[in-house]
Amino acid sequence: MNPTLRALPLRAVSSLALIASGAAPALAQLAQRPFSVGGGEGGGGASGGVTGWLLAEQSQLTHLIAAHVHALHGDPAAIWGLIGIGFAYGVFHAAGPGHGKAVIASYMMANDRALRRGVVLAFLAALLQGSVAVALVGIAALAFNATSSEMNRAADWLALASYAGIIAIGAWLCWTKGRALIKALRARFARRASIERGTLYQGAPWRAAANGNGKTAFRAAAPGSPDAVGEAAECGHSHALDPAALGEGFSWRGAAATVIAAGSRPCSGAILVLVFALAQGLFAAGVVATFAMSLGTALTTGALAWAAVFAKAVAMRLAAGDDSRVALAARGFEFAAALLVLAFGLALLLGAQGGA
Amino acid sequence: MPMAKRMKRLAAAGVAFCACLAASGALAHPHVWVTVRSQVAFSPDGKVAAVAHDWVFDEMYSSFATQGLAKPGELVKRETFAPLAQENAAGLADIGYFTTLKIGGKAVDFGNVTEYWMEERPDHLVTFHVVLPLKTPAPPGKYFTLLVADPEYFIDFEFDDTDPIVLRSAPSGCSASIAKPKPLEDAEKQTLTESFFSGLAPGTNFGFKMASRVIVACP
Repeated sequence: MNPTLRALPLRAVSSLALIASGAAPALAQLAQRPFSVGGGEGGGGASGGVTGWLLAEQSQLTHLIAAHVHALHGDPAAIWGLIGIGFAYGVFHAAGPGHGKAVIASYMMANDRALRRGVVLAFLAALLQGSVAVALVGIAALAFNATSSEMNRAADWLALASYAGIIAIGAWLCWTKGRALIKALRARFARRASIERGTLYQGAPWRAAANGNGKTAFRAAAPGSPDAVGEAAECGHSHALDPAALGEGFSWRGAAATVIAAGSRPCSGAILVLVFALAQGLFAAGVVATFAMSLGTALTTGALAWAAVFAKAVAMRLAAGDDSRVALAARGFEFAAALLVLAFGLALLLGAQGGA
Repeated sequence: MPMAKRMKRLAAAGVAFCACLAASGALAHPHVWVTVRSQVAFSPDGKVAAVAHDWVFDEMYSSFATQGLAKPGELVKRETFAPLAQENAAGLADIGYFTTLKIGGKAVDFGNVTEYWMEERPDHLVTFHVVLPLKTPAPPGKYFTLLVADPEYFIDFEFDDTDPIVLRSAPSGCSASIAKPKPLEDAEKQTLTESFFSGLAPGTNFGFKMASRVIVACP
């Protein structure tokens, strides 16, 4: 067998490790810093930017939001500008790991290949995030006249709950994906052993007999059943992969947990806009701007979820060849992504604990 | 499809995906803006003794900081701000005081911060005042530099245009000037672009690169 092919799962893992190393500096944040907003979302800027221009553009958007809120006093039509700027802010700003993009993308990588569902998850997470910010400022500041420190503390708790949720999802994914990976490895070795043993069946499509469970070998894989991928691959239908047909079943419970974990931490930008609008006596405008930001964030996150699904589909197609190898590559990919979710959660939690 | 080509495409897909995630980390930007006025205080024997800052926050952060602290129409007084000022001052040491004072190229250590307050100005912007004493007062040498920046770039510090720096009881002949950040050089831009695609940091402390410096010369 071609050694480069054998290294395929390894490549998938190493590319994920690369992603992780890229995200790591941005994750090391959340300590309670002076002048923090909303529990200490770091700038995460240590990893730099494409250009200083982008940074300047971002700052400009924030100032424009403030200017439009001021303008609303005299000109109600400024709300349209506010919506547009909020949306743009969301698109560009959908940046820090606090926005849950990395989590959603990794989750999609580990779990699902249905493009539309990934985009829906991204939208739900972004909308939840906007709602949490509105609820936080609405309840704490508007109803109880809370101070910035009190809001920061509330946001801290939301953040910690979010990180704990990410860790739980990561651990759960690692458990299920780890078992699937071991199963795929066994199948792979069993196949190689059987090839080495006899010449008679060489070249014939491998049937899951070596799996040790004759009953499952010919069972039609129901899409969404836990074993669908492995079985589908073993049955030799893997050459033209339908993204939706690959992979472990999609559970709405797991997806809901992911949305909640990824979206329950309010972002600093939204809190600032809301409190500022409140101070100007224009809380409703702040709410509108926040949801415009959420839509923008959802666009970016959705694109990333799409990229995750697409990258995996491409990888699987390129890995096409003999079926146990495809299965192994898929399982390796998914397990690495599961590890990544766990690592995100741990890094976020440790970062938060560091200074809090 | 030949194997090599297949591998190349797989690698390309991986790189594209990495770039997307890296971009997500890289687009961070400041949330809080601060206009800085600083003073460098000298001891009677001509040593650099302390740096005092007056930081004026942007209106959004100012709204946030004053939230819930005063009745409508009233300004938040220093006493009312005391707990928040204390919280912020207490966190300064961990972040390196957002302040780097280098004498002869070597950064000095700051001691305990005891003097600080926050207040709301009549224009509703919040000021944070803090005095950073040097652990041991040091002679200024031929020149020294003062940098105020947030390495993580959550806060954007800019020196005030008209009144950035005051030297208090400085030896005669000392003068201060401001050096704007160097425009990124081509090599640096290249690093940034590469870092964007590789997802690896171009070098930490990006906030420092965007910051102005005060240069104090004491010939």
